[in-house]
Amino acid sequence: MLNTEPFDDIDRLSPAELERWWVRRLRAVFTVAARELPFYRERFAAAGFDPASFRALDDLNRMPIFAKADLLAAQRKTQSQRLGIERGADEPGSRTTFSLSSGTAGTTFITHTARWRRAQGMSSSRAHWWAGLRPGGTLVMSAPAWHSYAAIQPFIAMRFGMRCVVVSGTYLPRFADRVVDALVHFRPRFVTMFLPMVFSILDAARRRGIAGNELFAGVGSLVVTGAAITPGMRAHLKALTGVERVAEIAGTSENLLAVDCAYAEGLHVVSDTCHAQVIDRKTGLPVADGERGSVVHCALIPYGSLYLRYDSGDVGVINHTPCACGLPSPRIKLLGRWEDCFSIGARALLPYDVQLALEEEVPELKGAACVITREGLAEGKLRLLLIEPHGASAVSLLDHARSALSRRFDVPVEITPVKDLPLRFKGVPPILSEREAEL
Amino acid sequence: MALPHLADYPFYRERLGPDGRPAPWALADLESYAATHPGDPFAGRVIGAVTPKVALQMEATGEPPIWTALNPPELDRWAEVVGGMWSRWGAVASETIAFFDYGSSPMVLLASGGYVGYLRRGAAERLGIFAVCNDGVATMAPRMVGIVETVKPTMLVLRRDLVAPFVSALETAGVSLAQTVRWAAVSEVEGTVTREQAQAAASSLGVRVLRILRCDAAFMLAGECSECGCFHLDRRYRAEQLPSGEVAITTTFAVTCPSVRYNLGAARLAGAGCPLEPRAQRIEC
Repeated sequence: MLNTEPFDDIDRLSPAELERWWVRRLRAVFTVAARELPFYRERFAAAGFDPASFRALDDLNRMPIFAKADLLAAQRKTQSQRLGIERGADEPGSRTTFSLSSGTAGTTFITHTARWRRAQGMSSSRAHWWAGLRPGGTLVMSAPAWHSYAAIQPFIAMRFGMRCVVVSGTYLPRFADRVVDALVHFRPRFVTMFLPMVFSILDAARRRGIAGNELFAGVGSLVVTGAAITPGMRAHLKALTGVERVAEIAGTSENLLAVDCAYAEGLHVVSDTCHAQVIDRKTGLPVADGERGSVVHCALIPYGSLYLRYDSGDVGVINHTPCACGLPSPRIKLLGRWEDCFSIGARALLPYDVQLALEEEVPELKGAACVITREGLAEGKLRLLLIEPHGASAVSLLDHARSALSRRFDVPVEITPVKDLPLRFKGVPPILSEREAEL
Repeated sequence: MALPHLADYPFYRERLGPDGRPAPWALADLESYAATHPGDPFAGRVIGAVTPKVALQMEATGEPPIWTALNPPELDRWAEVVGGMWSRWGAVASETIAFFDYGSSPMVLLASGGYVGYLRRGAAERLGIFAVCNDGVATMAPRMVGIVETVKPTMLVLRRDLVAPFVSALETAGVSLAQTVRWAAVSEVEGTVTREQAQAAASSLGVRVLRILRCDAAFMLAGECSECGCFHLDRRYRAEQLPSGEVAITTTFAVTCPSVRYNLGAARLAGAGCPLEPRAQRIEC
């Protein structure tokens, strides 16, 4: 039973009905891809995949998987941002813009057309609705124009009849003062922001004598993106801001989209943006609920750049059990990137695991910013640089954390308190060399 | 659009002369007003009860930041100004324009309805051209080179302070801008670059460089003419030569947040007569 205010009838589907809806939608999208998009036509043919034969979600297992490396290879080959995955970019009135998907491997380009912006905007409106957005008020535009989220926010503002507030500069810490000014003057009820920027604006507000709860006064939902948040981080953000609902959105430029419901026990896949799976890296088959694997998704809006069976490089878990909110889509949690996965002792860990362990073992350190050093890992140690906690008990807290983490992971642990960590667009990189951290 | 009754606007009320016109004002005047009215983000230029659909924080103002405001028809008219500028510079359908600037810069925002809400037809959309924006920070210069190599824009708009890191990144990558880019337009946060700075940029970028005159407080954007070297004003701006040797601008489409007699600083009205656009009002600065 639906226990939340639905965005529309899709939210009222049962999980079984949604599955059937997805099958129909996926078949239609694959058919378009095979007919119009050379990248997929060639690869589907090579894999012997015929969209007409797609009858059930299990049929996804027969389809090839693509990753950023494939797109970069196509980009190198064509010497163009056009990879054969773009639909309608050259049509009259397409109003095409390109955004960028950057990463350690390289930059690829995403084509946005007016039809994509409209369809994706409506679907993203669902995501924002689930996260607590309601009509009226102000939307502080929180994404720089090169980012695909920036192509969505204008639609959302108009769909919900909101005022668009554009902060000058970009979303880097040195512009935090300007975001503070926007929040103070325009008092949005809904704020969405890259996680590291939340801390930067809280710092900027503090310097101006504005407390966190004063800065966020009137905000009903604070939605963070750009990093997986632990339960402790969520509690920490609530305590810092006084905002009742802190939600997480996981979104990629390639149109994977999932968002917390009010129960905050995993992020519901946004049903008309994408279908998502978590698969075993070796077999390519779906893993059981709760097991870690690669997040692979198919975008469902066949305009602009279309990403099908796309492995975003994220590590995630999936949960198909019914959620108390009653929304039909499964819940996923992105825990980090495979490139940040490291082995220590007998375990393969993600920085998320370390953050979670830290807050579970020493609750006083929940939300603490820390990085893992490469040098430590090379020596078989977990060496953390952690922003120095305040207060008289700081030394004993760190001692406690050291011994608890060492026991938990069965490896030597060193914790070095630091005054600052290098903050980049996506926050403090979770694993750094000590030189990069300027120790 | 009818010009607003300026006596209703606190900022203008105290500047109105006996002739009913406000004294010419500059950014510093707006900043002075804002400093004494910290609760008003628009510094007395938007009437209290109005809730404009779009509020833009001005990049050129420091502490406290000052905001301007527009409603959808005004945004559209401003975008038309920008489209006209690019058109004069030779933009044609199916080409791509690239930006190396903050997404909040009006040149970027006004390019597409995909960049700001309530903009019906952005400048790029009017001309049928494609747009791509790189973040306006120096560390993103290598990524800008990647855009040039891959997307192959024929037109480039960048902020002056990014020219040097961009040139350095082009050299490092061994990329010649002239292979794809026909012209680059260089802007300042407020005002314009000097002719000498433009020449130096042209020399280091290896392409023709055009200047942009930008004054966000007045919703003012104008492009240098490649023929006469003056800034051609869109017909939506009214310019007047001040006795001080400066030029004041009134922006006729700005109703929500009026901009009347904004002082651009030292400049000369060159009048009409450019062979490329004979009726255009021109400013030399």
